Amino acid sequence: MKKNKLWKVMSLMLVLSLVLVGCGGGGGEKKAAEGDKPAAGGDTIKIGFLGAKTGGHAAFGIPTLEGMKMAAADVNNAGGILGKKIEIIEEDHGSKNSEGANVTQKMITRDNVVAIVGDPTTAITKIAAPIAQDKKVVLLSAGAVGTGVVEIGDYIFRDTLLDAVAAPAVTQYVKEKLGWQKVAVVTSMNNDYSVGLSKLFKAALVENGIEIIVEQSIQDGDQNFSAQVTTIKEKNPDGIIFTGYYTEGGLFMKEVRKQGIKAFMVGGDGLLGDVLMKMGGEAVEGSMVYCGFAADENKAGEKTKKFIEAYKAGNNGALPDMFAAQGYDAVMLLADAIKAANSDAPETFRSELAKTKDWEGVSGTITFQENREPIKSPVYLLEVKEGKFAVKDIVDIK
Amino acid sequence: MLGQQLLNGLTLGATYALIALGYTMVYGIIQLINFAHGEIYMVGAFVGVLMVTVFKQGLVVSLVAAMLTCMIIGVSIERIAYRPLRGSTRLSPLISAIGVSIFLQTLMTKVQGPQPVGFPHVIEDAIYKFGSLEITKVQILILVVASLLMAGLTFIVKYVKIGKAMRAASEDYDAASLMGINVNRVISFTFAIGSSLAAAGGVLVGIYFNSVSPLMGVSAGLKAFCAAVLGGIGSIPGAMLGGIFLGVAETLGIAGGFDLYKDAIAFTLLIVVLLFRPTGLLGRPIQRKV
Repeated sequence: MKKNKLWKVMSLMLVLSLVLVGCGGGGGEKKAAEGDKPAAGGDTIKIGFLGAKTGGHAAFGIPTLEGMKMAAADVNNAGGILGKKIEIIEEDHGSKNSEGANVTQKMITRDNVVAIVGDPTTAITKIAAPIAQDKKVVLLSAGAVGTGVVEIGDYIFRDTLLDAVAAPAVTQYVKEKLGWQKVAVVTSMNNDYSVGLSKLFKAALVENGIEIIVEQSIQDGDQNFSAQVTTIKEKNPDGIIFTGYYTEGGLFMKEVRKQGIKAFMVGGDGLLGDVLMKMGGEAVEGSMVYCGFAADENKAGEKTKKFIEAYKAGNNGALPDMFAAQGYDAVMLLADAIKAANSDAPETFRSELAKTKDWEGVSGTITFQENREPIKSPVYLLEVKEGKFAVKDIVDIK
Repeated sequence: MLGQQLLNGLTLGATYALIALGYTMVYGIIQLINFAHGEIYMVGAFVGVLMVTVFKQGLVVSLVAAMLTCMIIGVSIERIAYRPLRGSTRLSPLISAIGVSIFLQTLMTKVQGPQPVGFPHVIEDAIYKFGSLEITKVQILILVVASLLMAGLTFIVKYVKIGKAMRAASEDYDAASLMGINVNRVISFTFAIGSSLAAAGGVLVGIYFNSVSPLMGVSAGLKAFCAAVLGGIGSIPGAMLGGIFLGVAETLGIAGGFDLYKDAIAFTLLIVVLLFRPTGLLGRPIQRKV
């Protein structure tokens, strides 16, 4: 009897608290809707960071934010833009898709940001983009490479190296510099990224007159590749185009070397991770991976070198990665567009941003095409050397 | 190249067979499908990695250590999770087995992280040629160790006293116990043998595929269970045959370009075989006692 009463009281309290929370949330939204975008009047220009500081995607988010902060500091130290300082609004969605939408909503309606940089992943970018488009706030992703991102609307941009740009350049490189005539293409069939990348590579191979002598399919999570490798061995290719992720890439190469094939592997940034060496060991020596940015002080240009040095100074000697460089460039792109438009109203500087052509950033040269898809040059081709990724060559896009 | 692919299939099949034996022996005696068996195989693989990396042991010591560890784990699982349920319905120990399986998976994910771990290099990548057929040193190792273990098991079951007791218990559990056989001891022994074979399979697969992960036992366990049923559950030669049959079929399927369907191959085969031989390839016909 007594216990029963206690339960009743507790459930009543639970219901009450739910109601209260619900009201609180609703009220907040209403207030924000009333104050929709008085942005131009503020004394700082607010740029939001959409990304993860915790959870599985923290490795992408933290360096992006670091790069953004550096860019904001550089702009502000040079006197700011339009007489205002840039302020970075930091949020953390904890690598959760659902939180991605909340954070975007909050940054636009409560903080009145004029632009959002992020998310580094395609998935959350696609969740956030319709919200930004709807509220007419510029969203510039410094990481999304998947399809269907900028198609969401004319306020949506990205400053990443797209596989559609990189794959043809890398294909041309392996033909001209490495003399590959006939290759094997390996695709992970349950991985959208891999299936898409293989399609791009196959088109580029045909265009460059390289023969695809054997195609094999694997799946993410596979461990046994003996049958596929035996089939490849029979055809004796000059090289292997592997479009999957690092775990399978490392294991695949292990089997390739075990069966005595000497050919090297080339793949996209899905292979870019230390797990490749952890799984592949000696077998992945000489494997090649392309990506949008790699810090190499000897091969970098003036601007990039300065960025690398500044980043190292602020991060205990750690080298900046692709996300840091693209985060830096994202803020700089926005700053330049705002300067050119002489206004920080998203409706106005959006069109200046879309006109970006041969813009020099620290991660490369960026041009936005008619459809806002970036063409980025150069492509960094990395090679595994003594268990580490080292820049093999920097390939310019024509 | 068919010969080469057959060899790949045989190697894979030998590892399936090692796991399938554990399923079939346990089922033969207490009619329990020990769903935690795949996890024993996974734990065995991790013990192997631990021995090589932390204790700097060679292949043989690591293999034996993994087998001994899993022997103890297997027997303890039986004591803790199955024996108290011996008198209850057949469903209870089955559910308990699923619980143990999930427990071991999550425990290992917690301890080890969800990422696969590379198996350290314990034998060099040498290739031997026989005509057009090439066999790697790892493949030889797997085939030899698996054959030795299976021969040893056959010897024990056929000629050693405890093996005879196992056969007796599997034929008629109650009669065996009436004849003075300590059935509990026999069951413990069965779990010990089955678990150590699975651990050996885990270490060999770790070396072969160079990768060990907390969830590796799920699909391997399912395939091996499939192999055991295919060969006729309860039959030891059946489990060996079923494992090899499945390994070869799967490899030829992948080589034929049906990679996406490789798991489907195993189960389609199972359905087809069971349609024509409901007790599996080498299974005994079911005799209902009235």
